[in-house]
Amino acid sequence: MRRADAMLLLCVAAYGAYAFAAGSSYTLRVFSVAGIYALAAIGYQFIFGQAGALSLSQGVFMGVGAYASGILALRFGLGFDAALPFSVGVPVLLALAVAVPVLHLRTHYFALATLIISQMVLLVAVEWQGLTGGANGIGGIGGITILGMPIRAGWPLAATVWVCVALGAALSAWLMRGRAGHAYAVLREHPAVAGAIGLDGGRMRLAAFVLSAAFAGFAGSLYVHVIRVISPDVLGFPVMVTLLTIVMIGGRLGVAGAVAGAVLVIELPEWFRPLREYTLLVYGAILLLVVVAAPGGLVGALRLLLPDRAPPAPPALAASPALAELSGLAALSGASGLLLEIDGLARHFGGVRALGGVSLGLRAGEVLGLIGPNGSGKTTLVNCVTGLVAPDAGRVRFAGADITGLRADRVAHAGIARTFQTVALVDDMTVLDSVAIARPRTDFATARAQAMTLLDRLGVADIAQRRCGGLAYGLRRRVEIARALALQPRLLLLDEPAAGLNETEQADLSRRLRGLAADGAALLVIEHNMAFLAPLADRMACLDAGVLIAQGTPAEVQGDARVIEAYLGRPAAVSRPA
Amino acid sequence: MLALQLLFNALALGAAYALVALGFVLILNATGAVNFAQGDLVMAGGYGGLVLARMLPVPGVVLLPLLMAGMAALGLMVALVAYFPLRRRPPEAVFISTIAIGIILQNGTNILFGPELARTPALLGDGEFRWLDGVGGGLVVSAQSVAIIVVAALLIAGLHLLFSRTQFGRRLRATAQDREVASAIGIPVDAMVAATFAVGVALAGAAGLLLARGFFVTPNDGGNYMLKAYIAVTIGGWGSIPGAVAGAALIALFEVVFPALPALVPALGGPAFSQNGATIVLDALILVILVARPQGLFGEASKARA
Amino acid sequence: MKRIAACLLLTAAASAAHAASVTLPVLVPLTGFLAVEGASQRNGAILALSTPPAGVTAKYDVSDTGVSPEVAVNALERAAGDKPIAVVAPMLGTQMLAMLPVAMEQKIPLLTISGTAAITRQGNPYIFRFFPDDATTKIAQVRFALENKGVKKPAVIYQTTAYGQSGHAEIVNALKKAGIVPVYEEALDVAVKDMAPVLAKARAAGADSLIVHLHGGPSALLLKAAAASGLGLPIIAGSGLSQPSTINLLEPAELAGVCAETSSSPVSAESPAMQGFLDAYRRKFNADPDGFALAQYDGTMMALEAVAKGATTPAALTQALSSGSYAGLAMTYKSNGRGDMAHSAVIICYDGKSRIPKVVAHYTNAAAD
Repeated sequence: MRRADAMLLLCVAAYGAYAFAAGSSYTLRVFSVAGIYALAAIGYQFIFGQAGALSLSQGVFMGVGAYASGILALRFGLGFDAALPFSVGVPVLLALAVAVPVLHLRTHYFALATLIISQMVLLVAVEWQGLTGGANGIGGIGGITILGMPIRAGWPLAATVWVCVALGAALSAWLMRGRAGHAYAVLREHPAVAGAIGLDGGRMRLAAFVLSAAFAGFAGSLYVHVIRVISPDVLGFPVMVTLLTIVMIGGRLGVAGAVAGAVLVIELPEWFRPLREYTLLVYGAILLLVVVAAPGGLVGALRLLLPDRAPPAPPALAASPALAELSGLAALSGASGLLLEIDGLARHFGGVRALGGVSLGLRAGEVLGLIGPNGSGKTTLVNCVTGLVAPDAGRVRFAGADITGLRADRVAHAGIARTFQTVALVDDMTVLDSVAIARPRTDFATARAQAMTLLDRLGVADIAQRRCGGLAYGLRRRVEIARALALQPRLLLLDEPAAGLNETEQADLSRRLRGLAADGAALLVIEHNMAFLAPLADRMACLDAGVLIAQGTPAEVQGDARVIEAYLGRPAAVSRPA
Repeated sequence: MLALQLLFNALALGAAYALVALGFVLILNATGAVNFAQGDLVMAGGYGGLVLARMLPVPGVVLLPLLMAGMAALGLMVALVAYFPLRRRPPEAVFISTIAIGIILQNGTNILFGPELARTPALLGDGEFRWLDGVGGGLVVSAQSVAIIVVAALLIAGLHLLFSRTQFGRRLRATAQDREVASAIGIPVDAMVAATFAVGVALAGAAGLLLARGFFVTPNDGGNYMLKAYIAVTIGGWGSIPGAVAGAALIALFEVVFPALPALVPALGGPAFSQNGATIVLDALILVILVARPQGLFGEASKARA
Repeated sequence: MKRIAACLLLTAAASAAHAASVTLPVLVPLTGFLAVEGASQRNGAILALSTPPAGVTAKYDVSDTGVSPEVAVNALERAAGDKPIAVVAPMLGTQMLAMLPVAMEQKIPLLTISGTAAITRQGNPYIFRFFPDDATTKIAQVRFALENKGVKKPAVIYQTTAYGQSGHAEIVNALKKAGIVPVYEEALDVAVKDMAPVLAKARAAGADSLIVHLHGGPSALLLKAAAASGLGLPIIAGSGLSQPSTINLLEPAELAGVCAETSSSPVSAESPAMQGFLDAYRRKFNADPDGFALAQYDGTMMALEAVAKGATTPAALTQALSSGSYAGLAMTYKSNGRGDMAHSAVIICYDGKSRIPKVVAHYTNAAAD
């Protein structure tokens, strides 16, 4: 655990110790309620923090859990523990049902969709009076019982709630340890990269959403037995705003943030009671201040103040497996025939033709240079091959299998890796982890050892423990290529790998890429820099306005009249396709 | 006759909603961020009208430009504290900072004005015109409703002229289309974003003055208007100005005409046509639109959302 | 020596009974959708607490409970730390339901004006409700509609809130006892703006009257729309329409012939004592009181009178409130054994010229059980 997080948890523990020592039923009750919100907020961190999706239905999941537990208690006399499968299960089922249509939507649409679903659930709860008691709710729900043993209000209740918080926090930390946490970081910061290194973003978002709902349902079932009424208030938007505030103030990542945020946000209005009618006004001002001044919340601010001591040493290079053994590239070098066949690939954006029926082939061990003016469709071609963009027409075959329109992560698993035009690394992640995360089907320790080999191969083993944010451009490029190689690709697509590199770096990169090809990988390199590309490429192809206008040896293509015209005749191409 | 009456009512309500949605979509276009305080700014506009009316005993139509100027200043302040410090952050940051602004506005007005219902002065007067009194309840057209429709139409037309005919408007539009390109060709992007906040919040304030006569205002009204603007813009197509107006009109139709259908067509009935039923039907419709037609009913697919 | 000491102790006890100092916190909603009603509650309570009976001094602190049960419970737990003799508790039914178990644990009597029927049916000895419950007020509303307005085919329009749903159930119940089924029923969200569709449907259903149970703002919108469309049907509204702050938004003409139920109408000043209350309230708060304010005033005063008579502990006060009777300004309060203290309601009507209504009928719930 990071030092800052441990520090925050210590503060909460100290306050908890005070609450238990003071022992007033008021202090303990507020502390219990804070614990309940902490649990729901830990859950909210999965979807909003880890997956980076602004869901506005966490409050409703909590409310649905509360209703499920409350109604089962009233109708069937089920205790808190016996009802748990339902109070957790019903919100999870709701999350699954909701996820199918809306989970893939982008920020504002996802936020609105979840908000609207929340409104619908609230309306149903208010209208379905026979089951829910309508707007009046139903009182007379018993306190928490565990195995038939009633838990008294005061310290036993607070202790029970906080034991649940501790378990939930531990579960969350365990789920997000190692590879999973890093994978979510990539998904959150660079969704396109997640697919390109073989992560199934859709499934990860779904998992995060369902986990959120499960934690919320559990928190809701505690809530209903502590407040002892069911009422539509728990489904209302204010509960959602409270959870959002907790996570913004505490921090979107790290359970310490959720726990400290919950204690602060729930206790704050109580401490501010002397302010009377100004309480909520001050509350709004503090929220604004935190959002503006501490974007990472308490956790983020503290992590800056209390940086971690030196990170653990990277795995020794000697212990790393040899590359040939790791990559298995050499085994492929004898393969004959075309590794990649592109046939008539076409794609339009709105009314603009980005690709107009391109056909290309690539052999194992071959380096193909792809050139063309800005906006000629080079990146779109790579996007279509790697599954980031679905083609309108045409086929893509790889190693004999049709991969047309396959999802990005499946393309990656099939053995195609890529880099991006603008380097896309997670700033807060170490170089080693950034590469290790792309190793498929291995435990994370092994992945890290293997990643060291790759870093060494690209000459950047010495920076393995640095965070990516502070690296020079040339180093970032190499880390990105190492990450692509971690997939053990048989085909590597590089989008302007030499951009921003000085001549020494270019020469070094060129040498290393040739080495990869010699090991049997096929490389497709998009470049404008002819001095870099011409010596590197076995063959070259040129795109113009989405159409292949020339291919052949570098010398042939560079001498082609149409290529020269494409480059010189229309110098004012406006913008590159993203 | 009833149908005509309901359509007229829907038009007046939709015209006011359109101003709310327009303010919302302008800021959205310029910043790429949702201004979650838009509804509370409508509410603040209502109270602003109330304050002005206490100082100047003149008809609302005279107060309107004063109010819009004041609200534009408020818009600049909102931009200053809740947008500019966060402009290099992901859009959720502005989402939350404007929620905070909303909380501050709501509780500030509660402290200043109390929780009681309040009402702004009429734009022109409280007169009403009646036609065909005997026929099916007749048609009642209040001066306030007519004034709302006219004022909203003038403001929307003015906005259109601003965008299409003036250098300032073209710069605003360029900023909204692509901030980086706009900056590269020498447009002062920050000033344009600030101006957009001023215009967007002035429109919210105008809507507040128009709505708070016939429908009153309380400090808690913001959330409801916010949701309507958000929905209108989604229906109409994210970022589309005509779409926002059409979306607002559709919401008004769902509030006023849809639940009255059983009274118009006796064969219709059932829970779907209750007021809450209409809300659920509209909600479901929006989910279908979000999933099946991401570019909105009237928008172009320029900005993908999935 | 011993005898003198005992004498001294007795004197001390006696003087304590006469010069008691008690803590009576006021926990009411001051933000959110019930803030107007909560402010009436607060004002009524403060007026009583600041003019207690001779010999009693009352300390009080006002806390906002918002509209969530959780905040209300926290407020009660916090107030319990000050050893209060009782608390003024919010009028929101869901908050009361959540506070009841805590009141039971802490043994604190709750003085409220919540109309929600369920709160006095939980078998909790610490609840005292000084506003007629929904059954009482809705029976009054329905009886007036049937007996005085000759209603046969009513349309029932209510709110989707706790207040609305609770009252709606009682209205339908009371109509059913008279063998009448509403020709049209509709529940409205508080955010509904245009009332034309509801009125059109009521008319299309052949309603001969509107029995309305809405909060203040929606009631005002409905009356405006009804007047504008020339509806011409009798309207019998709920207590939401008795609030002066709502009435001030309507033109007297829009109120012509409209009647409403409430527990009392202090602005109508039926008695000199009520006139005194009205004047004092106006002086202190610069606003007109409604039935909620008077009910909370009466309830708080009943508790303070009991303190003056020696009930200086929560237990003694609970006992005094559950067995005693008190002639308040609005009515005489006496528990029915469950904590329901108020058993009568009034019907007020507006004449179309003034915003001050006339009390036209008193109803006492004979079956106050």
